[in-house]
Amino acid sequence: MRDTPLTQAHIDRDARMVDFHGWNMPVQYTGILAEAECVRTKVGLFDLCHMGRLEIRGADREALVDRVFSGRTAKLKHGRAKYGFLLNEAGYPIDDVLVYRDLDVMHVVINATGRDTDPAWVRLQNEKSGFDATVVDVSDDQAMIALQGPASEMTLQPLCGTDLSALRYYGFTTAPVLDVECLMARTGYTGEDGFELFFPQEHAGAIWSALLGSGRSLGIAPIGLGARDTLRLEAGMPLYGQEINLEIHPLEADLAFGLDMDKTGAIGIEALRAIRAEGFPRRAVSLGAPTGRVARPGCKLFQGGTEVGTVTSGTHSPTLGSNVARALVLAEAAELGGILDVEIRGRTYPFEVVPAPFYRRKR
Amino acid sequence: MADRPSDIQYTKTHEWVRVQGDEATVGITDFAVEHLGDLVFVDLPEVGRTLDAGEAAAEVESVKAVGQVDSPVAGEVTEVNEGLADDQGPLTADPYGEGWLYKVKLSGAPGNVMDLGAYEQQLATEEAAGE
Repeated sequence: MRDTPLTQAHIDRDARMVDFHGWNMPVQYTGILAEAECVRTKVGLFDLCHMGRLEIRGADREALVDRVFSGRTAKLKHGRAKYGFLLNEAGYPIDDVLVYRDLDVMHVVINATGRDTDPAWVRLQNEKSGFDATVVDVSDDQAMIALQGPASEMTLQPLCGTDLSALRYYGFTTAPVLDVECLMARTGYTGEDGFELFFPQEHAGAIWSALLGSGRSLGIAPIGLGARDTLRLEAGMPLYGQEINLEIHPLEADLAFGLDMDKTGAIGIEALRAIRAEGFPRRAVSLGAPTGRVARPGCKLFQGGTEVGTVTSGTHSPTLGSNVARALVLAEAAELGGILDVEIRGRTYPFEVVPAPFYRRKR
Repeated sequence: MADRPSDIQYTKTHEWVRVQGDEATVGITDFAVEHLGDLVFVDLPEVGRTLDAGEAAAEVESVKAVGQVDSPVAGEVTEVNEGLADDQGPLTADPYGEGWLYKVKLSGAPGNVMDLGAYEQQLATEEAAGE
């Protein structure tokens, strides 16, 4: 197992540690329910150093990103981020990523599970296309931490030398925190307001501690991966490997907002246009049940005794106090208000098809 | 450190059993409760069901995980703690008392059980192993 620069800080706070795709990470500190509530009502701090970070440089950096990234980069302004996918030729995601357009570099944030595959894929496409670009993997040089929750701005502002109120959702800027030059983006994976910070890894401990200190009077707490997964699922955000993977494409996963379907020359988009034209049998749906058992990934779904799909993510929602899930089902079973039976450990439990997302913050 | 009773017996898989005459009460230990995290569901056996020692008898589910309860004793289920279906609070607050799971009329002696000393030694070993 690999440690992040903050692993010891988590152990020192008595976090429960788990092996997360080869990383020694905190799954919870005090409890998933308390941590999720802290992010929804106050502010939480997340260690995301295990995720991957690429920098694409050179004269053709934007051409390379435009080729490997599914989203609309042509209209992406400097200082803005965009969600999308690295697609294979068949239109299926190798990963889901955020692209940040900076002055002389494109930053790409990838999942921990993509740290081996993604750079190799982007480099291969770079070579094939003959672009003048270089793909630098800065995952081991940069730390990444997130502040999420309504008190995020109040926590970060006293430590940083820029006016955060001017930073819009999905915008980013560069500013010092504790005299360390940080890239800070108003992005996140919880459905709350918040920031993701990128900076040289040797300062991880100092910045982590400073944020906990600054947020103390606001009720800040460090948050584990357990609460992070419930928060993202409540907010309707996909997890690579579950909602999308090499066998579930973005159209059926209801993630078309991460696609520029009019692009030419981008890998996988042509294939997705063909899939769209031909029609596809499955749809992603949100499911809810007031009480009872929690639907887990892989649970089968039935309607009138016929198998109609599979749960991709499921949890007890701390914010709603009920059970929620995402599932991929045949289109005829995807109707809102319909009842689907989820098979959980040998028995079936009724879940209702409900609108997505489960949670939307008030602005 | 939880206050674990010394008049009950424990299993390697973190259940406990209190034998009184030909009746036994079964639950899970504070370690099991702590380890599961925030509880959301408890599935108990039906009254009248006959359990073998070691048979899967109940399930305790948290936000993140499902814990299977293997019956430490054989016998017929006479009573279950039905309130736990709606409120798992007692299981967290008082796992050796109000948080009991089910009672059986014994049809034999408990299977693989140990006393408090042996159980705590096991926990110490597990914790030392990073568990």
